[in-house]
Amino acid sequence: MKVRVVRSGGFAGIERHGESDSARDPVLAGLVDRVDLGALSPPGRIPDQYQYDIDIDGTSATVGESQLSGPLRELVHHVLNRPR
Amino acid sequence: MRCTIVPPHILDRVASAGDPELRDIARRTLVLSSGARTERRMFPAEAAAPNEDFVPNRTIADAGHREETPGKTVRTEGGPPTGDKSADNAYDWLGVTFDFYEAAYRRNSIDGAGLKLLSTVHYGKDYDNAFWDGSQMVYGDGDGRLFKDFTGPLDVSAHELTHGVTQYTANLEYYGQSGALNESLSDVFGSLVKQWHLKQTADQADWLIGEGLLADGVHGKALRSMKAPGTAYDDPNLGKDPQPGDMAHYVETYRDNGGVHINSGIPNHAFYLVATAIGGNAWEKAGKIWYETLTGGKLSSTADFKAFARATSATAARLYGDTAAETKAVKDGWSKVGVRI
Ligand SMILES: [Zn+2]
Repeated sequence: MKVRVVRSGGFAGIERHGESDSARDPVLAGLVDRVDLGALSPPGRIPDQYQYDIDIDGTSATVGESQLSGPLRELVHHVLNRPR
Repeated sequence: MRCTIVPPHILDRVASAGDPELRDIARRTLVLSSGARTERRMFPAEAAAPNEDFVPNRTIADAGHREETPGKTVRTEGGPPTGDKSADNAYDWLGVTFDFYEAAYRRNSIDGAGLKLLSTVHYGKDYDNAFWDGSQMVYGDGDGRLFKDFTGPLDVSAHELTHGVTQYTANLEYYGQSGALNESLSDVFGSLVKQWHLKQTADQADWLIGEGLLADGVHGKALRSMKAPGTAYDDPNLGKDPQPGDMAHYVETYRDNGGVHINSGIPNHAFYLVATAIGGNAWEKAGKIWYETLTGGKLSSTADFKAFARATSATAARLYGDTAAETKAVKDGWSKVGVRI
């Protein structure tokens, strides 16, 4: 599965992009199975916190920094460390 | 110019000198440590202002590089410096910002009612950000390669605290144009606190946001420029400053809560134009117009640029008169960035 993450916002307002494919990324393959994008609530809009747009094979969600925990957090940081 | 931490023995001397003017100068220009705060509480009769002398109540906590707030308390109001630069910077900049709002607009803390100020420093590992979480400030150390410590520049602290002021007043929704106005107000007062601290007039100020935050070797002067939006940085790692300076270049995006850190360049530049057209100390007239508009109780939480422009124009007319130069400066400023009143 193709996973894309865009981080935006933050005090600096500078975007970061990352992309990876679970077919060639065993760590990511272990994480995508544990993430359910449909179960997330809308972002909290906290001033200067990061906003993350996550796309897993066409299913996408937008979350705020404070909503990142567990496997979703690991997935986001893992993918952002693989710049497009 | 960097701030000076005044040794306690000098503060004692200034405070006990009983010279109100000297005390006033010390208060308004120097970053005061605990000694002077105590003096101010002990001798309220000597305060320069006829009204009550507001005093901050600061707490600094250390997250120990975890992404958790508030963390362990390392300094409270009146306590001695910790020796940790981040904690002491955060403490000092909270004090300067508090003093600015009191001196310029007679505001007692973020909520206007003496709210306690809490900052968490050393948040996360190599964390390249600072934010206001709805009840406190949070600062990262920066990664050292792109960003330095976020407690360093005064305007970063003043920006975050102003998010608190906005939350307690117009409470502008952090999305789209109202969100960009929320961001812009934090930049405007962030810059004004710095100008006030450095005693700079509008033509002397750098009008930069986050000057001193970019690590050595990064191609850029700051994160944003109110004078020339879009020119603050252009770097292989950071990219190019994406801010527009007028409505013709407004950026439609769903990212960053609808581009709040991008389109804030438009109202930022409008404020710069107004302040430099009026001249003198920007916090006195242009800042006053913006402050009264933000806190006056009439601004909708979903105000767009046009609504805010109209509101500032009405505030200017109320304060200075319909045909005053100040009111004309406000109208011209918005017109030049393409916002029709
Ligand atoms: Zn902000």
